[in-house]
Amino acid sequence: MNQDATPNQQRAISDMVQGLLEDRIDRREFVSRALILGLSATSIGAILAACAGGSSSNNGTSGTYDPKKYAGTQLHILMTGDENDHRALGDQLSQLKAETGIDLVITAPSLTPLINKTLENLKASKSDFELVEYLGFLTTQQVGGGYYEKLNPYLNDPAETPPDYDFNDLIKANLNNVGYYDLAAKKLGNGATDLYGIPGLHSGSVIYFYRKDLFAAAGLQPAKTWDEFKAAAVKLNTKDVAGASFVGANDFSLATVDWYTRFITTGGKLMLGSPTTKDFKPNLTSPEAVGALQMLVDLLPYAPKNVTQYGFSQNVDGFSTGKIAQMIFWSTIAGPVFNPNTSKVADKTGTTPVPAGPGQKSSAILGGWGVGIPKNADPAKKKAAWRALTWITSKKFNMYEEEKYQIDASRNSAFNDPSLVSKFPYLPNAGTADSSAHVIETSIIDEFFELNAIMNVEFNKALIGGQSAAAACATTQSQWEAVLRKGGHLA
Amino acid sequence: MNGTLIERGSSRSSWAFGPSGRHRDTLLLLGPCVAYLIVFSVFPLLYSLRLSLTNLTGSSTSGQFVGLENYRDIFTDPHFWGAAGTTALMVGSSVAIALVLGTALALFFGLNLRGSSIVRAVITVPMLITPIVVGVMWRALLNPDWGIVNWAIGRVGLPAINWLGSTDTALKTLVMVDVWQWTPFVFVIVFARLQSLPVEIFEAAQVDGAHRLAQLRWITLPLLAPAIALAAIIRGIDAFRSFDLVYGLSYGGPARVTTTLSFLDYQSGFDFQRYGFAAAMAYVMVVILVIATTVLLRLVQVRREDAVQ
Repeated sequence: MNQDATPNQQRAISDMVQGLLEDRIDRREFVSRALILGLSATSIGAILAACAGGSSSNNGTSGTYDPKKYAGTQLHILMTGDENDHRALGDQLSQLKAETGIDLVITAPSLTPLINKTLENLKASKSDFELVEYLGFLTTQQVGGGYYEKLNPYLNDPAETPPDYDFNDLIKANLNNVGYYDLAAKKLGNGATDLYGIPGLHSGSVIYFYRKDLFAAAGLQPAKTWDEFKAAAVKLNTKDVAGASFVGANDFSLATVDWYTRFITTGGKLMLGSPTTKDFKPNLTSPEAVGALQMLVDLLPYAPKNVTQYGFSQNVDGFSTGKIAQMIFWSTIAGPVFNPNTSKVADKTGTTPVPAGPGQKSSAILGGWGVGIPKNADPAKKKAAWRALTWITSKKFNMYEEEKYQIDASRNSAFNDPSLVSKFPYLPNAGTADSSAHVIETSIIDEFFELNAIMNVEFNKALIGGQSAAAACATTQSQWEAVLRKGGHLA
Repeated sequence: MNGTLIERGSSRSSWAFGPSGRHRDTLLLLGPCVAYLIVFSVFPLLYSLRLSLTNLTGSSTSGQFVGLENYRDIFTDPHFWGAAGTTALMVGSSVAIALVLGTALALFFGLNLRGSSIVRAVITVPMLITPIVVGVMWRALLNPDWGIVNWAIGRVGLPAINWLGSTDTALKTLVMVDVWQWTPFVFVIVFARLQSLPVEIFEAAQVDGAHRLAQLRWITLPLLAPAIALAAIIRGIDAFRSFDLVYGLSYGGPARVTTTLSFLDYQSGFDFQRYGFAAAMAYVMVVILVIATTVLLRLVQVRREDAVQ
């Protein structure tokens, strides 16, 4: 130990060692804190070696991984019923039981009931669920609320984590979106080392879908810029096929997919300042903000007649039935679009990264989910829950989801698997989009959905002719500021 | 009437069991009801009142006491006033139209034409359907791309209507669907009353030379007034609370033109997890409803002599 340490430092070091022994902190965190306190590498190594035998996480284990260690345990997972995740997991429950002996029971309501049921559980004295799937946009609300178990000790324990789990295969952007969180600094992602969730059961971002046949016939290349996108829309628009489409309805994806993608790829920055310094101010009256909405307004003559009522399903149906020449959309729709049983254009569809403004990089919003273990889950079942969690976020399960349902994976290996890519050529584009996607700035505060709803209402109003793009952005700006002030994020 | 029944029951208990037996009887009879009310009405009401005075949100474990801040926020929120206006418009027009149509239907079926009993049964079907189903069903029927309504309109050479996508038509469409569903309710109440009207009054009017229109104006409608008033009050309360239809049909849009108070409250509570604010808004709605119902009851003045046959 450091000979020159002050009494406070000595107390801190002693607490740290105790924390390591009691599993309150993991080895990685111990090293970081020890370095901050000025311990030498030799001292750290010696302490770790001394603690290795005494750490409670290793108590009762031989240090080797036993896949059936928790056989006979029944677990419950609360997850989304809006996507295909619960179907994929439902298919594989018997396999999970065969390999681990764990019985997993699925509860899968749709999004709004899921959020409310999740919050009820997290705030209860004991959670009914040992595993909970949460939307990436809610990581701050749920993980930041301190409701989830820190997963580092489980991950770092070779007796608990399968040897082939390959944590580093999980896409970093997804880990930063739903996994890492610094509770003390209230900071999501980059820089944080405490792990509270594993990306799954699906992740994903936005890519560009276009009709290869129509573009080839017109002598066009897939759009790389928004000007090319509009030019293609003008040229390809006919009575039967709309030149382009987008989410024009008062729908979650109007703001997050169509507007936000155009906004950030033309140099827009959504928020200035930070909630912690109470200067978290929207930047919605900027030329990029108004310009992104104006792009959508300008596309109206070349879009489906009722595009202002088009949400997710209308666009998927429109594209799959050959009535739309191009659009940007969540890559997760590749499933129905590339399935010859549900799509008339399965063999005529191409994908690329989304277009961008001059000099800008292609990028879009990062979607996806995380799965965590509630702190208030039955303590006797937490290790079994981790076992199940590693199974449902394994390479094998990611590949199954991708192959059977074209659910966007959370692992690099699934996006780049040669056999999958040969079947689903869009996968590398989807993987690239996922890796380079943007965590929307407003998701770091609780009011994310409220802000998004305001934006969708005002932008939809602009699209139906109720106000100009500039007025819509100005109204949204003032409403956002009011919400942010009320929430204490803006002084 | 009720008072008489209670008195009779009380005296019998007193005769059978004495004073202590009477108390036991009272407890036995009222106990379950009181317990039910405490558990399912009084406690939730008090709990939500407490909630309305806190700033409880999705991520906070327990809300802090903020006094009347939520109520102040509600009354300074332009969305609240917008939704209140929409609710007033929706309730007023929907109830008025349903009353006129329901009464007209009742009078028509009062003629007892051949086969009317079958048609009567069919007419009541909409009110048997769950409102959320009605909303989703009509959203599909009115779909601008493949909905059967615009298809039928197109077949007769008329232009397609943007039922739910335009700020000009969306609220009208909401009222139309609400009227479609609940006119049968008014019809059933008014028709039941119509069937029980004394024939002698109409015979006397005929003898006095009153023609059909005069009978309707001066005899039938006044005698139906209590039933129409009852239907108006029940329908008014129901329309004011209507949330599921809006949720299924228009989700409050476009541009919030169909956002009613109930829907706004749902959004605040369940979409945005502002539980304290939502509880306060629910309380404001209860107060509005109590005041409106009291005023309505005073206005319609269901007089005893009207109700006597």
